[in-house]
Amino acid sequence: MAMRSQVYEWDATRSGFGGSAVGAGNTLATARPYSIFIGGVGNNITKPAETTATQFVVIEDIGCTATDLFVGTSVTNWFSGPRAYIQVRINTTDYFLDPDNIGNDGISGTAAPYPRTISNQPSFNLYPDVYVLPGQTWDALYTHYEGSTTAGTHQAFVKYTLYDGPDALIANKLLEMGISVNPGNVDWYKRTLISGASATV
Amino acid sequence: MAMRSQVYEWANLATVGNNSTIRRAANCAPVGLTSGREYDIFIGGFGNNITKPAETTATQFVVIEDISSSPQNGSAVQVRINTTDYFQNPDVTKQDGIPGLASPYPVGADSAGSPTGTNYVLSSFNLYPDVYVLPGQTWGVLYSCQTDVEGSSSSGGGTTGVACFVKYTLYDGPDALIANKLLELGVTVNPNNVDWYKRTLIEQASAPATNGGVA
Repeated sequence: MAMRSQVYEWDATRSGFGGSAVGAGNTLATARPYSIFIGGVGNNITKPAETTATQFVVIEDIGCTATDLFVGTSVTNWFSGPRAYIQVRINTTDYFLDPDNIGNDGISGTAAPYPRTISNQPSFNLYPDVYVLPGQTWDALYTHYEGSTTAGTHQAFVKYTLYDGPDALIANKLLEMGISVNPGNVDWYKRTLISGASATV
Repeated sequence: MAMRSQVYEWANLATVGNNSTIRRAANCAPVGLTSGREYDIFIGGFGNNITKPAETTATQFVVIEDISSSPQNGSAVQVRINTTDYFQNPDVTKQDGIPGLASPYPVGADSAGSPTGTNYVLSSFNLYPDVYVLPGQTWGVLYSCQTDVEGSSSSGGGTTGVACFVKYTLYDGPDALIANKLLELGVTVNPNNVDWYKRTLIEQASAPATNGGVA
């Protein structure tokens, strides 16, 4: 299992190691980024997400709770949702920037909704993928600007592929060669190594 | 991270009493927008803005891959490079750009912007070929609407939220040089082709070594 498709789902109202207790009134402050891994709210994991020297991670998709803007019939019903955003951070560098080169909140849940519904479909595809090289720490930060912490109103999702052992070495080699790191290309590189070795014999 | 997928989302939201905020803020309300007028989503003074116009440095290359806007209120978005509008009428006159009904944000929004509406709008439009912003150019995205968007301070009974979305890829440093080279060669600038060009450079560099220096 040297290449594994992985997912992580975060929910502000769920409990988990280092996160909130069940039903403990998980309060999420507005305009503040929360790590979905170790942010202390919702389900968390035991330590920051990081790659070892023999691991390589490719983040392929991210999403969070969507927000809709409406033609309101009163001064308050012009939207539904938390106005949420999700940012990827590698070590200390934020991936998404504003056009003035200042880090922003990331991709909006409206553009990359989780979950996807008929009325909330993605406008965004994370391409090129985000690479987390061996030894790096990575995180996904959730920020919202409106709304409460009712169950299901703050969710985030990350899809990534974990390359381990020899496949992580091949992933590094592909990166050096300027080839996209994906399972197909890793398999292709293995096949070229095997055919090269058998030709020598 | 020399090639990065980037996004920018604009909405007509600002803190109460203001027309705009830099970046985003909590507890915002919609601001009113006048029909028939263009609003720069970066520095237009309405909704969430940034500190300066979007521009590329000498070592940056931007490829705009998608733009969209709310389908309600006859919304449309136009791309402007320096002083030139990208979308124009067949008679080379000015137009508003891509309608939100053709390129909705979010995909699946109700066509009239009704909270209970079920007329889900899907994309009729794909920005292909992409729009290139060369090093040193200034670019903007302009929002316009055909009917007034009511803000929280409008005299009407309702308030309306509208939004725009831009997806682009930022090529920086060596990758921006390669992007320029691809442009000269007439090859589409995308991450795959930038990687392809890198591979050809590497192959050319390693070819003399594998030949043992024999010409």
